[in-house]
Amino acid sequence: MKLAFNLSFKNLYGAGLRTLLNVLVLSFSFVIIILLNSIMDGWNAQAKRDTIAWEYGNGQLRYKDYDPVDSYSILDGHGVIPSAVEGLTPVLIHQASIYPQGRMMGIVLKGIPTDQSTVALPTYKLEESTAAFPVIIGKRFAESSKLSVGDQVLIRWRDRHGTFDANEVTVAAIFDSNVPTVDESQLWMSLDTLWEMTDLTNEATFFIADDSFKNVASEDWIFISQKELLSVIEELIATKKVSASILYILLLAIALLAIFDTQVLSIFRRQKEIGTYIALGMTRSRVVALFTIEGSMYSICALILASLYGTPFFIFLSKTGFAVAEADKEIGLAISDRIYPVYGISLVLSTIALVIISSTIVSFLPARKIAKINPVLALKGKQQ
Amino acid sequence: MQEQNIITIDHMSKSYPVAGKPFMALKDISLSFQKGEFSGIVGPSGSGKTTLLNIIGSLDAPTEGKAIVLGNDIASLSHKKAAALRNLHIGFIFQVFNLLPVYTVYENVEFALLLQKYTASERKKAVMQALDWVGLTDKAHKKPSKLSGGESQRVAIARAMVKKPQLLLADEPTANLDAENAHVILATMKKLNKELGTTFLFSTHDEKVMGYLKRIIHLRDGVVEKDLLV
Repeated sequence: MKLAFNLSFKNLYGAGLRTLLNVLVLSFSFVIIILLNSIMDGWNAQAKRDTIAWEYGNGQLRYKDYDPVDSYSILDGHGVIPSAVEGLTPVLIHQASIYPQGRMMGIVLKGIPTDQSTVALPTYKLEESTAAFPVIIGKRFAESSKLSVGDQVLIRWRDRHGTFDANEVTVAAIFDSNVPTVDESQLWMSLDTLWEMTDLTNEATFFIADDSFKNVASEDWIFISQKELLSVIEELIATKKVSASILYILLLAIALLAIFDTQVLSIFRRQKEIGTYIALGMTRSRVVALFTIEGSMYSICALILASLYGTPFFIFLSKTGFAVAEADKEIGLAISDRIYPVYGISLVLSTIALVIISSTIVSFLPARKIAKINPVLALKGKQQ
Repeated sequence: MQEQNIITIDHMSKSYPVAGKPFMALKDISLSFQKGEFSGIVGPSGSGKTTLLNIIGSLDAPTEGKAIVLGNDIASLSHKKAAALRNLHIGFIFQVFNLLPVYTVYENVEFALLLQKYTASERKKAVMQALDWVGLTDKAHKKPSKLSGGESQRVAIARAMVKKPQLLLADEPTANLDAENAHVILATMKKLNKELGTTFLFSTHDEKVMGYLKRIIHLRDGVVEKDLLV
């Protein structure tokens, strides 16, 4: 094996520019694969962290008739808060309309205890406010509705009996969250106020669990663990990863094709050398192994080259982050202005394994021909 | 002295396809070679010299008859056993030297030993001894591209001889050399034949080589025409 590595290295070194080009393209593949996946992993980690902090907590206990993706379920999707609940922050959702600057916008009112600390929403601002009906809204919603702190806006809603009612609320604070599902078209207010407005006292649509929550079986309330809630994010990012992988699969394919071509050419050009190896007593399988190792050495050299220029690049990116375009923020998933790549050991190892194994395979395929070579013809350079 | 025969060829024929038709390169040949011989197979191009050498060297196999080399029936050898036979007991010298271009002279000579179980110090000793035989110790770290034709062929001799094989097969070893270099090469091989007792078998049509041979076998159209002791 040492002989094969030694000889392979010398052959690659001797091939000069051809080796350099193959190694360079393959090293780009290493860097691009790690970069794209680390950005996705970084986004995944950031999205999960922010969504837990702002929305999911340690899981949610939902009323059986409430379905967060079905707005029709809001009307009846609430129930009486069960007795003796611990480690839960109730949230009541109710549909309403607002009329900023004369326009009508459909929104949801969300009532939450002002003294909660389960999620990062600054609900204490509701308590601090001196306004009669204070609300807090997210930055994105503030921008789309053109509302600022201190603005008053008319809201209209139906109470539990279907009767329309209206009032003016005051924007007490605007919070900055990366999680669009606590921001877009939502007005957060005191749960007590919403109970009073809707006549749904002591009712909730769902609860946000904190670390002290222990699930108790209930017919009306269904607990969805943090892991189940986050699976939606994971699935979405996995889908994004697939589309991003097209870029590096193409790049890797180009590099592998170059190695394959080099191997085919090399085996044809080096017939006399192959014949000499056999004449000197090398078994054919050993010559096949020699050429296969030589081909896979491209990936080893590419790995070394990629680590030389890739490591400082990755360190730089991990500090500065990767700017996210405004348009990319509208995909409905928690995403911050900058994504900081996450370089997991499994990502690096799996990328190394992918590139080395695939380059070994494309090196082996043409090298198999050596097993059938006629050494007499090879020595004369007449093997076709 | 039947036990001293290291090569026995018995009614051997070899045919291979040429333009879709079988061509008889060797026809019913019977020969034997004893240990320590310095013999040559001579004849014009296409007479079957190289084919005979390739079969003896286990690079090819007979179509009919038997070729027994160092006790091995070439026709029944597996690829692996044939490789082991070449590796341990047979050295090759080619017309165009066939040195490995990316290796230095030292590494080219060492290569044959790397396939065997020699320690690094044993290899070094053997390589330097082989280079000393051919007078190239001062070129040990040169690449083959920096050597003259004569020097390259001397490296090939050192590579073939470094493992001290029982049999050395040289296919037109002087064909690409000038007269002076050819004589140096042949004198070197003659000396090794005497000192080490290695059996040398040449294929050639070079008059200079014939002057050194103790036995000359004339081949014509795949048939042994004459077998002369000189």
